[in-house]
Amino acid sequence: MAVESPFILVNPEHCVGCHTCELACATAHTKAGTVIGAILAGERLQPRNHVVQVDNVKMSTQCRQCEDAPCVRVCPTGATYRTDTYTAVDQRLCIACRLCVMVCPFGAIHVATTEVAGREKRAAFKCDLCVDRPDGPACVEACPTKALSLRYPSEVVQQSTKATSKQFLEALESQQQLTSNP
Amino acid sequence: MTYSEKILSRSIDPTVHKMLARAEELGLETAWDRYEAQLPQCGFGELGVCCRNCNMGPCRISPFEEEGPKAGVCGATADIIVARNLIRMIAGGAAAHSDHGRDIAHTLLLTAEGKAGGYEIKDEAKLKALAVEYGIETDGHTKEEIALELARAVYAEFGKQEGPIQFTSRAPEKRVALWKKLGVDPRGIDREIVEIMHRTHIGVDNDPVHLILQGIRASISDGWGGSMVATELSDVLFGTPSPIRSQANLGVLKADEVNIVMHGHEPTLSEMLVTATQDPEMVALAEKYGAAGINVVGMCCTGNEVLMRHGIPIAGNFLQQELAVITGAVEAVIVDVQCIMPSLGALTGCFHTKLISTSPKAKFPGATHIEFHEEHAYDIAKEIVKTSVENYRFRKPGQVQIPNEKTECMVGFSVEAIVEALGGTLDPLLDAIKSGAIKGLAGVVGCNNPKIQHDYGHVNLVKELIKNDVLVVNGGCNAIATAKAGLMLPEAAEQAGEGLKGVCKALDIPPVLHMGSCVDNSRILVALAAVAKALDIDISDLPAAGAAPEWMSEKAVSIATYFLSSGVFTVLGPMPPILGSPVVTELLTQGAKDIVGAVFAVEPDPFKAAQLMINHIEEKRTALGI
Repeated sequence: MAVESPFILVNPEHCVGCHTCELACATAHTKAGTVIGAILAGERLQPRNHVVQVDNVKMSTQCRQCEDAPCVRVCPTGATYRTDTYTAVDQRLCIACRLCVMVCPFGAIHVATTEVAGREKRAAFKCDLCVDRPDGPACVEACPTKALSLRYPSEVVQQSTKATSKQFLEALESQQQLTSNP
Repeated sequence: MTYSEKILSRSIDPTVHKMLARAEELGLETAWDRYEAQLPQCGFGELGVCCRNCNMGPCRISPFEEEGPKAGVCGATADIIVARNLIRMIAGGAAAHSDHGRDIAHTLLLTAEGKAGGYEIKDEAKLKALAVEYGIETDGHTKEEIALELARAVYAEFGKQEGPIQFTSRAPEKRVALWKKLGVDPRGIDREIVEIMHRTHIGVDNDPVHLILQGIRASISDGWGGSMVATELSDVLFGTPSPIRSQANLGVLKADEVNIVMHGHEPTLSEMLVTATQDPEMVALAEKYGAAGINVVGMCCTGNEVLMRHGIPIAGNFLQQELAVITGAVEAVIVDVQCIMPSLGALTGCFHTKLISTSPKAKFPGATHIEFHEEHAYDIAKEIVKTSVENYRFRKPGQVQIPNEKTECMVGFSVEAIVEALGGTLDPLLDAIKSGAIKGLAGVVGCNNPKIQHDYGHVNLVKELIKNDVLVVNGGCNAIATAKAGLMLPEAAEQAGEGLKGVCKALDIPPVLHMGSCVDNSRILVALAAVAKALDIDISDLPAAGAAPEWMSEKAVSIATYFLSSGVFTVLGPMPPILGSPVVTELLTQGAKDIVGAVFAVEPDPFKAAQLMINHIEEKRTALGI
């Protein structure tokens, strides 16, 4: 069975638009690991997520880690590829053609200047779920209002199924006619 | 007893370990827990790039290179916002120090008018010396008459519209000339603070360098103004400190006595409390409730004030305020202003301890408010002591856990006391500096901050300095840390380099000299100015450096800035919120050298920080040809 692909879910009711997740994201992807340390070392800060505001509602947006990802399909160099659990970018192969940017329905990819193998180049950036980070996604950990969470769809499905099944059972108890044969 | 890694990582002080374990056991939270709950702290705040100065905002500048807003709604860039925010911190710090100075001037005025309830002029010589400085006639006048004139003259300094203020003339002539040339010579103590608030209002001063220069001016009006007023007039009223022995750390609390912790800053209250605890009526009351006596101890800077003048033991520095309560042995924590955690209300509520607020300026949740007014100082102090003593009967002996640790210390090194220790003249010190026995001077000050392991920065920095023959003068929470670490004893000279050891032994002084509370950092300025004048050079030419290894308060920002403005290279432990602005960062860490002859460096590692200071001192020695 394939390993399940999680993604980051935002609860817009909790998001206050503080942008802390962006900074945590950018910081987690520096060598220094702290905002102050990165700036002192002259490292670029590059967030992979974005806080947006739509009709007075604020929320963070980032890659959904699509399983049949348009960015992967469209990539001419194989820089964007799919692992078991997420959609990755190999910046060494990226030629900054921006096709992935054009096709992403979530606007979750952007191209920026970065240093790859000692060379300055333009390359695509997207959420990697902080797969190498022991404590999981930095944005989730940093969110002061707990608006962000790392979710496994099957877990969500299971929870929903259980909840609605429980509701159904309760309904049965009070509405005998549902089980009595016609 | 072994402690968890978490507890050990929070402090180097064993009393802190013990009390944090006790807090865990009781399910009580402390500043360290609340700090952890705040993590990660907002990166925009850390960089200083958020602005709430008007309601088009809050605005925030993106630290990301290619995206996000690079200006606030009004158009303010990161440079403008960082500069405005930093000097507002200076305004806050200068206001706190200077308002403290104003309160002391008020007490002197009331004392001179015969309206103060129990104060007297203890140091007449200093009164007269200050009167001469202010051009006040002393011949044929009583000390009260002189004090009245002096108090009025000092009062006027706060509202002065055109400078200069009196004490800036204590700086070397070159320094004063430089300040005038730069347009940063303060015009009045309050004026510079008000002008910061004006300039940082939406749409006023939008030049980062120009803004920082006003910050410098306000900081000078603190260090050479409000703080110096506080120090000098406190000496007049309560006596100029001279060497005295005492003890430091939570172990000064006593299991069988009424423990009163005086916490805050202004000696007007603590001086009177000390007297009131000796009142036979109060002592008898304590006995009536079964206590063996009344044990009054200090905490933070008000503790430093009474430690310096009366040898009242000091229970700890800033991060130990909650821990004193957790001992369960404290009948009352008496507070006035500054650095008093609002958490104390809820925390004292878990014990029999009373939190008593006293300042008309400062109320706290969960506190009993007994307002202090100088006119009835003694009566109010007695009422406070009585309330504390009466609370002894509610102490739960089963809840009492007092750490054993307390360390002997020798404190009380005002400038006058240092000169006296030197034999009446600065010459032995100058000779030691010239010969290299003492490589240089370091002023180490500042707070505690849970971002740095408690006392780790303070103690290691100071140890490293004395080991390298740098004589340390200190104040505030750094002084308390070094007292607890046993560095304020003549015997601590053994930990100093050969040269400094020799000087300390010859003079029978510690290698670390306690100069007082945080307003008393002005004594460090006076000492540096005196040495510079004696060598006929500017302060910036001295083999001297400053440091604030665990700073956190706005007052510390003002102190660090007046050190810098006075020409003292200063190393900060925690990073100030300026990195969001390349202009301000460059100005304060490099450019300022060509402006005021000194810069800031930031180095949280105390060993590396010491090395920066020693290198600077060596450079200055080379430049002086010594």
